[in-house]
Amino acid sequence: MLDVKASSGGGVAGELGRSLHTRSGRSFDRRTRLSFYNRTFKVICIASAIFVCLILFSILFLMGRTGMLTFNEVSVAEFFFSTEWVPENEQYGALVFISGTFVLTALTMLISVPISVLVAVFLAEMSPRWLRTLLRPVLDLLVGIPSVVYGFLGMTILIPVLRDITGTNIGDGLLAAAIVLTIMVLPTISRISDDAITAVPKKYRDASYALGASRFQTIVKVVLPAARSGIMYAGILGMARAIGETMAVVMVIGNTPQLASALFQPTAVLTSNIVMQIANVPFDSTWNYALYMMGFLLLLISLLMIVAIRMLQRKGAVS
Amino acid sequence: MKTKWFKHTLLTVLAVAVAFGSVSAASAASKLNGKIVINGSSALLPLTLQAANEFKKKNPKVKISASAAGSVTGPQSVRKGIADIGACDWDASLDVPGFKAFDGQVANKVAVIPFAAVVNKGVKATNLTTKQLQGIFSGKIKNWKEVGGDDAEIVVVNRAFGSGTRVNFQMKALDGTNFMSKGDNYKEVKSSGDMKTAIETTPNAIGYIDLVYVTDKMRALNINSYAPTEANIISGKYTVWAYGYYMTKGKPTGAVKAFIEYVQSKEFQNGSLKKLKFIPISAMKN
Repeated sequence: MLDVKASSGGGVAGELGRSLHTRSGRSFDRRTRLSFYNRTFKVICIASAIFVCLILFSILFLMGRTGMLTFNEVSVAEFFFSTEWVPENEQYGALVFISGTFVLTALTMLISVPISVLVAVFLAEMSPRWLRTLLRPVLDLLVGIPSVVYGFLGMTILIPVLRDITGTNIGDGLLAAAIVLTIMVLPTISRISDDAITAVPKKYRDASYALGASRFQTIVKVVLPAARSGIMYAGILGMARAIGETMAVVMVIGNTPQLASALFQPTAVLTSNIVMQIANVPFDSTWNYALYMMGFLLLLISLLMIVAIRMLQRKGAVS
Repeated sequence: MKTKWFKHTLLTVLAVAVAFGSVSAASAASKLNGKIVINGSSALLPLTLQAANEFKKKNPKVKISASAAGSVTGPQSVRKGIADIGACDWDASLDVPGFKAFDGQVANKVAVIPFAAVVNKGVKATNLTTKQLQGIFSGKIKNWKEVGGDDAEIVVVNRAFGSGTRVNFQMKALDGTNFMSKGDNYKEVKSSGDMKTAIETTPNAIGYIDLVYVTDKMRALNINSYAPTEANIISGKYTVWAYGYYMTKGKPTGAVKAFIEYVQSKEFQNGSLKKLKFIPISAMKN
């Protein structure tokens, strides 16, 4: 009980030192105990890390392996290059969904990135301080709204409005989905771009103004290029969210397996098709495997994007 | 210091012991009770839940857990052994369009589910023949004026392939003819709830749904001049209805058998089942 008194007086380091000195020779003294705790803690940490990796790899493995079974019945060329998705007739062409996903994402980015960057520039460069402190938390809150809420509002409010404006019969389609996705990813992109622009050192702006540049010139020619990698990072993050988004899209895209030739023609994307059909397919069917393959494709796309984000981050750190 | 450490260890050991003890006690108890797992059709879920509640009151030792996805998941879960009862909108022991028979499963009739062809409230047409329905859902009839409505393009809303409602509507209302799968005025929805919203909010839309879901914001059509009412279904004039089935692996036994018998009993069929707008199986003559 000697070390108890000592520890109450001295600091942690002293306590450790003393307890090491007063080794009593008993089998489970303080030092063994400490090393036991340390080792256990280390093992638990490593186990957790391994656990997470295991989950990721088993998901990849399961999706990939099940997806590959598709190609026992369907040729690779048909799956990737045919637009005929008629599972009841054994036709599994996924081109409609793959191209739908890319077109929809491109359209979303086309609308959302310019607006987001403008919002970010306003927030970081132009707004008065009180407005900035008000708007930033609001945008943070918007990021957290569940996507199904956006989808529902899109279906009940946006689509009737689109129908009235354009005079089309349905209103579902790429444009409606892109607008909903834009509203969804806008807060994400603008908040991160905002941070990137705020992080540009003040001396850049000072130097630009000293050279006689106007505020517009400073922002466009100096600040935005300096924040470029951060803004691209924001864009990719938004894109990753847009590609994987399911609930909001499935409610407004129309879910018809046809290549969209117009902005208002019902079509389908990878996520919406999976969620539409997965509940209704027989377990051991090519149809099921084809849906898994589509999920695997989505997984690969988002992994690629994460790799891209990592590379951008590294580049940003170096420059 | 040492005593504190010792206390901690002791507490942890105790907690772990208690946790394990309770787990083993729970698993021992569940073996004593009968347990029924039900999966499958979402159309039958309200009925299943109601029956489960009443059955549990009478047999407190039986545990019932019911969930629903699509009709085909019912017989599939039964085949895989995940569920004891698979609720399904068609007789899954026989072939239907798109789905092969599930061998070795027994279909137990539990209810009559009426279906209705529904249109948006703005549509003028009130009656369609089987021929006209076939034309509309295969994409050959494109304008409401061809079937006695205004001059407006028809918007067809369909359930996704694999839906039990779709299978039944195709067999009973369209005599087995195929649906269209593409078009500018064609969309698919994934559940009865989505169908309801789509029909309510889309002008000139036509779709089909369980009669239970029909609201006053949409209109159920007469088919071949007969309205979808209980009387017309029982007399055989309105033909778009189907039996709901509980699929089981082989003949049901034990608690499962008792539960199915309760659902089929006169007391339940003429009481709660009717209140939920299903029709008792005993009312049908064929």
